[in-house]
Amino acid sequence: MLGFRSVAGSRSTLQTLTRKNQMTFNSLRYFTIPFLPTLPQNPGGVKGDINDNLKHPKSDKLSSSIHWKIEKVLAIGLIPLVSMSLIQGAGVSTLVDLSLSYTLLMHCYVGFQSCIIDYIPKRVYGHWHNRAMYLLTLGSLLSALGIYEMNLGDKNNGSVSLTSRLWTSKNEQVVEEVAK
Amino acid sequence: MSSVITKRITQITQLNSILVSKRFQSVAAPANLKTFKIYRWNPDTPEVKPKMQEYKVDMNNCGGMVLDALIKIKDEQDGTLTFRRSCREGICGSCAMNIDGRNTLACLCKIDSEKASSIKIYPLPHTHVVKDLVPDLTQFYKQYKSIQPYLQRKEFPKDGTEILQTVEDRKKLDGLYECILCACCSTSCPSYWWNAEEYLGPAVLMQSYRWMIDSRDEAKEKRKEMLQNSMSVYRCHTILNCTKTCPKGLNPGKAIAEIKKFLASA
Repeated sequence: MLGFRSVAGSRSTLQTLTRKNQMTFNSLRYFTIPFLPTLPQNPGGVKGDINDNLKHPKSDKLSSSIHWKIEKVLAIGLIPLVSMSLIQGAGVSTLVDLSLSYTLLMHCYVGFQSCIIDYIPKRVYGHWHNRAMYLLTLGSLLSALGIYEMNLGDKNNGSVSLTSRLWTSKNEQVVEEVAK
Repeated sequence: MSSVITKRITQITQLNSILVSKRFQSVAAPANLKTFKIYRWNPDTPEVKPKMQEYKVDMNNCGGMVLDALIKIKDEQDGTLTFRRSCREGICGSCAMNIDGRNTLACLCKIDSEKASSIKIYPLPHTHVVKDLVPDLTQFYKQYKSIQPYLQRKEFPKDGTEILQTVEDRKKLDGLYECILCACCSTSCPSYWWNAEEYLGPAVLMQSYRWMIDSRDEAKEKRKEMLQNSMSVYRCHTILNCTKTCPKGLNPGKAIAEIKKFLASA
Protein backbone atom coordinates (compact mmCIF):
# COMPACT_ATOMS: atom_id res chain seq x y z
CA MET A 1 0.00 0.00 0.00
CA LEU A 2 2.65 2.45 1.07
CA GLY A 3 4.77 1.40 -1.88
CA PHE A 4 2.44 2.51 -4.60
CA ARG A 5 1.42 5.54 -2.63
CA SER A 6 4.98 6.74 -2.68
CA VAL A 7 4.97 6.42 -6.46
CA ALA A 8 1.68 8.30 -6.62
CA GLY A 9 2.99 10.97 -4.31
CA SER A 10 6.24 11.71 -6.06
CA ARG A 11 4.52 11.79 -9.43
CA SER A 12 1.96 14.18 -8.14
CA THR A 13 4.58 16.85 -7.50
CA LEU A 14 5.93 16.59 -10.97
CA GLN A 15 2.37 16.69 -12.14
CA THR A 16 1.65 19.96 -10.38
CA LEU A 17 4.91 21.41 -11.67
CA THR A 18 4.88 20.27 -15.27
CA ARG A 19 1.95 18.20 -16.35
CA LYS A 20 3.00 18.48 -19.99
CA ASN A 21 6.53 17.18 -19.45
CA GLN A 22 4.99 14.28 -17.58
CA MET A 23 3.26 13.08 -20.72
CA THR A 24 6.50 11.61 -21.97
CA PHE A 25 7.48 10.25 -18.58
CA ASN A 26 7.37 6.48 -18.86
CA SER A 27 6.43 5.71 -15.30
CA LEU A 28 5.49 2.34 -13.91
CA ARG A 29 1.84 1.67 -13.41
CA TYR A 30 0.82 0.49 -9.97
CA PHE A 31 0.21 -3.04 -11.10
CA THR A 32 1.92 -4.00 -14.29
CA ILE A 33 2.85 -7.34 -15.77
CA PRO A 34 6.62 -7.44 -15.27
CA PHE A 35 7.68 -8.95 -18.60
CA LEU A 36 5.45 -6.83 -20.85
CA PRO A 37 6.58 -3.38 -22.03
CA THR A 38 4.22 -0.52 -21.14
CA LEU A 39 3.34 2.70 -22.90
CA PRO A 40 3.84 6.09 -21.21
CA GLN A 41 0.83 7.10 -19.14
CA ASN A 42 -0.64 10.46 -18.24
CA PRO A 43 -0.42 11.23 -14.53
CA GLY A 44 -3.74 10.46 -12.88
CA GLY A 45 -5.08 9.33 -16.25
CA VAL A 46 -5.78 12.94 -17.16
CA LYS A 47 -5.52 13.63 -20.87
CA GLY A 48 -4.70 17.20 -21.83
CA ASP A 49 -5.57 20.26 -19.82
CA ILE A 50 -7.99 20.15 -16.91
CA ASN A 51 -10.58 22.01 -18.99
CA ASP A 52 -10.25 19.82 -22.07
CA ASN A 53 -13.26 17.64 -22.70
CA LEU A 54 -12.94 13.97 -21.99
CA LYS A 55 -13.78 11.86 -25.02
CA HIS A 56 -15.64 8.59 -24.60
CA PRO A 57 -14.44 5.65 -26.69
CA LYS A 58 -16.23 5.17 -30.01
CA SER A 59 -19.75 3.78 -29.88
CA ASP A 60 -19.70 0.05 -30.58
CA LYS A 61 -22.79 -1.96 -29.67
CA LEU A 62 -21.16 -5.27 -30.51
CA SER A 63 -18.63 -4.87 -27.73
CA SER A 64 -21.04 -3.27 -25.30
CA SER A 65 -24.78 -3.95 -25.01
CA ILE A 66 -24.90 -6.87 -27.45
CA HIS A 67 -21.84 -8.39 -25.82
CA TRP A 68 -23.51 -8.00 -22.43
CA LYS A 69 -26.67 -9.72 -23.69
CA ILE A 70 -24.62 -12.65 -25.05
CA GLU A 71 -22.81 -12.90 -21.70
CA LYS A 72 -26.11 -13.13 -19.86
CA VAL A 73 -27.63 -15.65 -22.29
CA LEU A 74 -24.55 -17.86 -21.89
CA ALA A 75 -24.55 -17.60 -18.10
CA ILE A 76 -28.28 -18.32 -17.79
CA GLY A 77 -28.08 -21.08 -20.41
CA LEU A 78 -25.47 -22.85 -18.32
CA ILE A 79 -27.87 -23.30 -15.39
CA PRO A 80 -30.15 -25.95 -17.00
CA LEU A 81 -27.26 -27.56 -18.87
CA VAL A 82 -25.15 -27.98 -15.76
CA SER A 83 -28.06 -29.18 -13.64
CA MET A 84 -29.13 -31.72 -16.28
CA SER A 85 -25.60 -33.08 -16.46
CA LEU A 86 -25.32 -33.22 -12.68
CA ILE A 87 -28.59 -35.14 -12.38
CA GLN A 88 -28.02 -37.57 -15.22
CA GLY A 89 -24.27 -37.96 -14.77
CA ALA A 90 -22.37 -39.89 -17.38
CA GLY A 91 -25.56 -41.01 -19.08
CA VAL A 92 -26.43 -37.54 -20.34
CA SER A 93 -27.27 -37.27 -24.04
CA THR A 94 -24.59 -36.20 -26.51
CA LEU A 95 -26.62 -33.15 -27.49
CA VAL A 96 -26.72 -31.84 -23.91
CA ASP A 97 -23.10 -32.80 -23.47
CA LEU A 98 -22.04 -30.90 -26.58
CA SER A 99 -24.08 -27.81 -25.81
CA LEU A 100 -22.81 -27.75 -22.22
CA SER A 101 -19.20 -27.98 -23.38
CA TYR A 102 -19.52 -25.32 -26.04
CA THR A 103 -21.56 -22.94 -23.86
CA LEU A 104 -19.00 -23.32 -21.09
CA LEU A 105 -16.21 -22.66 -23.56
CA MET A 106 -17.89 -19.48 -24.82
CA HIS A 107 -18.59 -18.43 -21.24
CA CYS A 108 -14.92 -18.85 -20.39
CA TYR A 109 -13.90 -17.04 -23.55
CA VAL A 110 -16.06 -14.04 -22.62
CA GLY A 111 -14.73 -14.12 -19.05
CA PHE A 112 -11.09 -14.17 -20.10
CA GLN A 113 -11.80 -11.47 -22.67
CA SER A 114 -13.00 -9.29 -19.79
CA CYS A 115 -9.85 -10.09 -17.80
CA ILE A 116 -7.65 -9.08 -20.74
CA ILE A 117 -9.54 -5.80 -21.22
CA ASP A 118 -9.14 -5.12 -17.49
CA TYR A 119 -5.56 -6.14 -16.88
CA ILE A 120 -3.84 -5.94 -20.29
CA PRO A 121 -5.57 -2.81 -21.61
CA LYS A 122 -4.64 -1.43 -25.01
CA ARG A 123 -4.02 1.95 -23.38
CA VAL A 124 -1.11 0.56 -21.35
CA TYR A 125 0.20 -2.42 -23.30
CA GLY A 126 -0.55 -1.40 -26.91
CA HIS A 127 -0.29 -4.32 -29.31
CA TRP A 128 0.27 -6.78 -26.45
CA HIS A 129 -3.45 -6.39 -25.77
CA ASN A 130 -4.21 -7.69 -29.25
CA ARG A 131 -1.69 -10.48 -28.90
CA ALA A 132 -3.32 -11.61 -25.66
CA MET A 133 -6.68 -11.61 -27.43
CA TYR A 134 -5.28 -13.65 -30.32
CA LEU A 135 -3.77 -16.11 -27.87
CA LEU A 136 -7.13 -16.45 -26.14
CA THR A 137 -8.92 -17.01 -29.45
CA LEU A 138 -6.35 -19.57 -30.54
CA GLY A 139 -6.64 -21.41 -27.24
CA SER A 140 -10.42 -21.37 -27.46
CA LEU A 141 -10.38 -22.73 -31.01
CA LEU A 142 -8.07 -25.55 -29.93
CA SER A 143 -10.42 -26.24 -27.03
CA ALA A 144 -13.33 -26.29 -29.44
CA LEU A 145 -11.54 -28.96 -31.48
CA GLY A 146 -10.75 -30.85 -28.28
CA ILE A 147 -14.37 -30.75 -27.21
CA TYR A 148 -15.44 -32.09 -30.60
CA GLU A 149 -12.96 -34.93 -30.27
CA MET A 150 -13.99 -35.57 -26.67
CA ASN A 151 -17.69 -35.85 -27.52
CA LEU A 152 -17.75 -37.32 -31.00
CA GLY A 153 -14.43 -39.13 -31.23
CA ASP A 154 -14.44 -42.94 -31.30
CA LYS A 155 -12.50 -43.54 -28.11
CA ASN A 156 -14.31 -41.05 -25.88
CA ASN A 157 -17.87 -40.88 -24.68
CA GLY A 158 -18.40 -37.26 -23.82
CA SER A 159 -17.01 -34.57 -21.57
CA VAL A 160 -19.54 -35.15 -18.79
CA SER A 161 -18.61 -38.81 -18.64
CA LEU A 162 -14.95 -37.83 -18.67
CA THR A 163 -15.51 -35.43 -15.78
CA SER A 164 -17.47 -37.97 -13.79
CA ARG A 165 -14.57 -40.41 -14.17
CA LEU A 166 -12.55 -38.08 -11.95
CA TRP A 167 -14.53 -39.63 -9.11
CA THR A 168 -15.07 -43.15 -10.41
CA SER A 169 -12.01 -44.10 -12.46
CA LYS A 170 -10.29 -45.86 -9.58
CA ASN A 171 -13.34 -48.00 -8.90
CA GLU A 172 -13.55 -48.89 -12.58
CA GLN A 173 -9.97 -50.08 -12.49
CA VAL A 174 -10.75 -52.22 -9.48
CA VAL A 175 -13.81 -53.67 -11.22
CA GLU A 176 -11.72 -54.39 -14.31
CA GLU A 177 -9.07 -56.13 -12.23
CA VAL A 178 -11.69 -58.20 -10.44
CA ALA A 179 -13.23 -59.18 -13.77
CA LYS A 180 -9.84 -60.38 -14.96
CA MET B 1 -30.16 38.83 60.22
CA SER B 2 -26.52 39.23 59.35
CA SER B 3 -25.82 35.63 60.42
CA VAL B 4 -28.56 34.44 58.05
CA ILE B 5 -26.99 36.38 55.21
CA THR B 6 -23.52 35.04 56.04
CA LYS B 7 -24.93 31.50 56.09
CA ARG B 8 -26.63 32.07 52.74
CA ILE B 9 -23.43 33.42 51.23
CA THR B 10 -21.43 30.43 52.45
CA GLN B 11 -24.11 28.13 50.98
CA ILE B 12 -23.95 29.89 47.63
CA THR B 13 -20.16 29.81 47.62
CA GLN B 14 -20.20 26.09 48.41
CA LEU B 15 -22.78 25.45 45.69
CA ASN B 16 -20.75 27.49 43.28
CA SER B 17 -17.58 25.61 44.03
CA ILE B 18 -19.42 22.30 43.48
CA LEU B 19 -20.80 23.52 40.16
CA VAL B 20 -17.43 24.88 39.08
CA SER B 21 -15.63 21.70 40.00
CA LYS B 22 -18.27 19.68 38.12
CA ARG B 23 -17.88 21.89 35.15
CA PHE B 24 -14.14 21.46 35.00
CA GLN B 25 -14.18 17.87 36.05
CA SER B 26 -13.58 16.85 32.46
CA VAL B 27 -10.32 18.76 32.49
CA ALA B 28 -9.28 17.25 35.77
CA ALA B 29 -10.21 13.72 34.70
CA PRO B 30 -7.42 11.57 33.24
CA ALA B 31 -6.94 12.20 29.55
CA ASN B 32 -8.64 9.68 27.28
CA LEU B 33 -6.00 9.60 24.59
CA LYS B 34 -6.75 8.23 21.15
CA THR B 35 -4.00 7.69 18.61
CA PHE B 36 -4.43 8.82 15.03
CA LYS B 37 -2.00 7.57 12.42
CA ILE B 38 -2.20 9.93 9.49
CA TYR B 39 -0.65 9.70 6.03
CA ARG B 40 1.74 12.58 5.45
CA TRP B 41 3.40 13.63 2.22
CA ASN B 42 4.61 17.07 1.31
CA PRO B 43 5.02 18.10 -2.36
CA ASP B 44 7.61 20.69 -1.31
CA THR B 45 9.97 17.93 -0.24
CA PRO B 46 9.34 15.22 -2.85
CA GLU B 47 12.53 13.42 -1.92
CA VAL B 48 11.06 12.57 1.48
CA LYS B 49 8.95 9.45 1.25
CA PRO B 50 5.37 9.49 2.49
CA LYS B 51 5.04 8.40 6.11
CA MET B 52 2.45 7.70 8.76
CA GLN B 53 2.56 10.29 11.52
CA GLU B 54 1.08 9.65 14.93
CA TYR B 55 -0.99 12.17 16.85
CA LYS B 56 -2.59 11.69 20.24
CA VAL B 57 -5.86 13.45 20.92
CA ASP B 58 -7.65 13.65 24.26
CA MET B 59 -11.13 12.42 23.47
CA ASN B 60 -12.57 14.19 26.55
CA ASN B 61 -11.93 17.51 24.82
CA CYS B 62 -12.78 16.54 21.29
CA GLY B 63 -15.90 16.20 19.18
CA GLY B 64 -17.11 12.76 18.29
CA MET B 65 -16.23 12.66 14.61
CA VAL B 66 -12.90 12.03 12.88
CA LEU B 67 -13.07 15.47 11.28
CA ASP B 68 -13.29 17.06 14.73
CA ALA B 69 -10.10 15.27 15.69
CA LEU B 70 -8.38 16.31 12.46
CA ILE B 71 -9.32 19.94 12.99
CA LYS B 72 -8.14 19.70 16.60
CA ILE B 73 -4.80 18.26 15.50
CA LYS B 74 -4.38 21.00 12.91
CA ASP B 75 -5.31 23.70 15.44
CA GLU B 76 -3.30 22.50 18.40
CA GLN B 77 -0.57 20.13 17.32
CA ASP B 78 0.46 20.45 13.69
CA GLY B 79 -0.60 23.32 11.47
CA THR B 80 0.98 21.67 8.43
CA LEU B 81 -1.51 18.80 8.37
CA THR B 82 -3.48 19.27 5.17
CA PHE B 83 -6.98 18.03 4.38
CA ARG B 84 -10.11 19.29 2.66
CA ARG B 85 -13.16 20.14 4.70
CA SER B 86 -16.03 22.52 4.43
CA CYS B 87 -19.52 21.84 5.75
CA ARG B 88 -18.62 19.36 8.55
CA GLU B 89 -22.07 17.77 8.21
CA GLY B 90 -21.86 15.42 5.26
CA ILE B 91 -23.29 17.54 2.49
CA CYS B 92 -20.27 18.99 0.70
CA GLY B 93 -18.23 15.82 0.19
CA SER B 94 -14.89 17.58 0.73
CA CYS B 95 -13.55 15.46 3.57
CA ALA B 96 -13.72 12.11 1.78
CA MET B 97 -10.79 9.98 2.91
CA ASN B 98 -9.87 6.43 3.77
CA ILE B 99 -10.44 5.90 7.48
CA ASP B 100 -9.53 2.51 8.94
CA GLY B 101 -9.65 0.95 5.51
CA ARG B 102 -12.99 2.36 4.46
CA ASN B 103 -13.65 5.29 2.18
CA THR B 104 -15.93 7.66 4.02
CA LEU B 105 -16.51 11.26 4.97
CA ALA B 106 -14.46 12.23 8.02
CA CYS B 107 -17.32 14.40 9.24
CA LEU B 108 -19.74 11.43 9.27
CA CYS B 109 -17.27 8.93 10.72
CA LYS B 110 -17.60 8.44 14.47
CA ILE B 111 -14.51 7.88 16.57
CA ASP B 112 -14.86 4.72 18.60
CA SER B 113 -13.14 6.00 21.75
CA GLU B 114 -13.81 2.71 23.56
CA LYS B 115 -11.65 0.83 21.13
CA ALA B 116 -7.99 0.87 22.14
CA SER B 117 -6.54 0.58 18.65
CA SER B 118 -5.42 3.63 16.73
CA ILE B 119 -7.29 5.12 13.78
CA LYS B 120 -5.46 5.06 10.45
CA ILE B 121 -6.24 7.76 7.96
CA TYR B 122 -5.15 7.70 4.32
CA PRO B 123 -6.18 9.79 1.33
CA LEU B 124 -8.68 8.20 -1.09
CA PRO B 125 -7.05 5.06 -2.49
CA HIS B 126 -5.43 5.02 -5.91
CA THR B 127 -5.65 8.75 -6.41
CA HIS B 128 -2.71 11.02 -7.01
CA VAL B 129 -1.93 12.84 -3.81
CA VAL B 130 -1.64 16.61 -3.90
CA LYS B 131 -0.61 16.83 -0.25
CA ASP B 132 -1.27 14.72 2.86
CA LEU B 133 -4.97 13.78 2.68
CA VAL B 134 -5.79 15.87 -0.40
CA PRO B 135 -6.31 13.77 -3.53
CA ASP B 136 -6.23 15.00 -7.12
CA LEU B 137 -9.77 14.51 -8.46
CA THR B 138 -9.22 16.11 -11.87
CA GLN B 139 -10.07 12.97 -13.80
CA PHE B 140 -13.15 12.37 -11.67
CA TYR B 141 -14.49 15.86 -12.40
CA LYS B 142 -13.63 15.61 -16.08
CA GLN B 143 -15.58 12.38 -16.27
CA TYR B 144 -18.52 14.00 -14.53
CA LYS B 145 -18.42 16.84 -17.04
CA SER B 146 -18.27 14.36 -19.92
CA ILE B 147 -21.69 12.84 -19.16
CA GLN B 148 -23.28 16.29 -19.56
CA PRO B 149 -24.99 16.45 -16.17
CA TYR B 150 -27.58 19.06 -17.02
CA LEU B 151 -31.11 19.18 -18.37
CA GLN B 152 -31.22 18.99 -22.15
CA ARG B 153 -34.37 19.58 -24.21
CA LYS B 154 -35.44 21.45 -27.30
CA GLU B 155 -38.14 23.62 -25.82
CA PHE B 156 -38.48 25.19 -22.45
CA PRO B 157 -41.75 26.77 -21.23
CA LYS B 158 -41.90 30.24 -22.77
CA ASP B 159 -43.25 31.91 -19.67
CA GLY B 160 -40.18 30.83 -17.74
CA THR B 161 -42.02 28.45 -15.43
CA GLU B 162 -40.73 25.06 -14.34
CA ILE B 163 -41.14 21.90 -16.39
CA LEU B 164 -43.72 19.79 -14.61
CA GLN B 165 -43.18 16.19 -13.65
CA THR B 166 -45.55 13.57 -12.21
CA VAL B 167 -45.06 12.39 -8.65
CA GLU B 168 -44.01 8.97 -9.98
CA ASP B 169 -41.43 10.45 -12.31
CA ARG B 170 -40.02 12.54 -9.50
CA LYS B 171 -39.77 9.47 -7.29
CA LYS B 172 -37.44 7.84 -9.82
CA LEU B 173 -34.81 10.44 -8.97
CA ASP B 174 -34.80 9.58 -5.27
CA GLY B 175 -31.63 7.82 -4.22
CA LEU B 176 -29.79 9.35 -7.18
CA TYR B 177 -29.94 13.11 -6.80
CA GLU B 178 -28.63 12.95 -3.22
CA CYS B 179 -25.13 12.08 -4.42
CA ILE B 180 -22.61 14.71 -3.32
CA LEU B 181 -19.80 13.50 -5.61
CA CYS B 182 -17.38 12.84 -2.77
CA ALA B 183 -15.70 10.14 -4.91
CA CYS B 184 -15.73 7.59 -2.07
CA CYS B 185 -17.42 5.00 -4.28
CA SER B 186 -15.35 5.51 -7.42
CA THR B 187 -12.06 5.33 -5.54
CA SER B 188 -13.17 2.15 -3.73
CA CYS B 189 -13.85 0.36 -7.02
CA PRO B 190 -11.02 -1.96 -8.16
CA SER B 191 -12.20 -1.65 -11.74
CA TYR B 192 -11.87 2.12 -11.45
CA TRP B 193 -8.39 1.67 -9.98
CA TRP B 194 -7.26 -0.27 -13.05
CA ASN B 195 -9.06 1.70 -15.73
CA ALA B 196 -9.89 5.17 -14.42
CA GLU B 197 -8.78 6.63 -17.76
CA GLU B 198 -11.73 5.07 -19.58
CA TYR B 199 -14.14 3.52 -17.10
CA LEU B 200 -16.40 6.23 -15.72
CA GLY B 201 -16.77 4.80 -12.22
CA PRO B 202 -19.85 4.38 -10.02
CA ALA B 203 -20.42 7.99 -8.98
CA VAL B 204 -20.38 9.38 -12.51
CA LEU B 205 -22.42 6.49 -13.89
CA MET B 206 -25.06 7.00 -11.21
CA GLN B 207 -25.35 10.64 -12.26
CA SER B 208 -25.52 9.55 -15.88
CA TYR B 209 -28.44 7.31 -14.96
CA ARG B 210 -30.02 10.13 -12.97
CA TRP B 211 -30.25 12.17 -16.21
CA MET B 212 -31.28 9.20 -18.33
CA ILE B 213 -34.42 8.55 -16.31
CA ASP B 214 -35.35 12.17 -15.76
CA SER B 215 -38.73 12.58 -17.49
CA ARG B 216 -37.89 16.19 -18.34
CA ASP B 217 -34.70 15.35 -20.21
CA GLU B 218 -34.89 14.75 -23.97
CA ALA B 219 -31.32 13.64 -24.65
CA LYS B 220 -31.80 10.01 -23.56
CA GLU B 221 -30.64 8.52 -26.84
CA LYS B 222 -27.53 10.68 -26.90
CA ARG B 223 -26.75 9.75 -23.29
CA LYS B 224 -27.17 6.05 -24.05
CA GLU B 225 -25.08 6.27 -27.21
CA MET B 226 -22.27 7.88 -25.20
CA LEU B 227 -21.95 4.77 -23.04
CA GLN B 228 -22.18 2.17 -25.83
CA ASN B 229 -18.59 0.98 -25.67
CA SER B 230 -16.73 -1.70 -23.79
CA MET B 231 -15.04 0.72 -21.38
CA SER B 232 -17.41 3.40 -20.06
CA VAL B 233 -19.94 1.13 -18.31
CA TYR B 234 -19.01 -2.47 -18.92
CA ARG B 235 -15.86 -2.43 -16.82
CA CYS B 236 -18.28 -2.70 -13.89
CA HIS B 237 -18.12 -6.30 -12.69
CA THR B 238 -20.68 -5.85 -9.89
CA ILE B 239 -18.02 -5.86 -7.19
CA LEU B 240 -20.35 -3.54 -5.22
CA ASN B 241 -17.66 -1.85 -3.14
CA CYS B 242 -19.38 1.36 -4.24
CA THR B 243 -22.65 0.52 -2.54
CA LYS B 244 -20.90 -0.78 0.55
CA THR B 245 -18.79 2.32 1.06
CA CYS B 246 -21.23 5.12 0.14
CA PRO B 247 -21.32 7.45 3.17
CA LYS B 248 -24.73 8.70 2.07
CA GLY B 249 -26.22 5.20 1.89
CA LEU B 250 -26.91 5.35 -1.85
CA ASN B 251 -26.70 2.45 -4.27
CA PRO B 252 -24.51 3.21 -7.31
CA GLY B 253 -24.23 -0.51 -8.06
CA LYS B 254 -27.96 -0.69 -8.73
CA ALA B 255 -27.84 2.41 -10.92
CA ILE B 256 -25.14 0.81 -13.08
CA ALA B 257 -27.19 -2.39 -13.34
CA GLU B 258 -30.14 -0.27 -14.49
CA ILE B 259 -27.95 1.42 -17.09
CA LYS B 260 -26.89 -1.99 -18.41
CA LYS B 261 -30.54 -3.05 -18.66
CA PHE B 262 -31.39 0.27 -20.27
CA LEU B 263 -28.64 -0.09 -22.88
CA ALA B 264 -29.57 -3.70 -23.60
CA SER B 265 -33.24 -2.89 -24.13
CA ALA B 266 -32.45 -0.25 -26.76
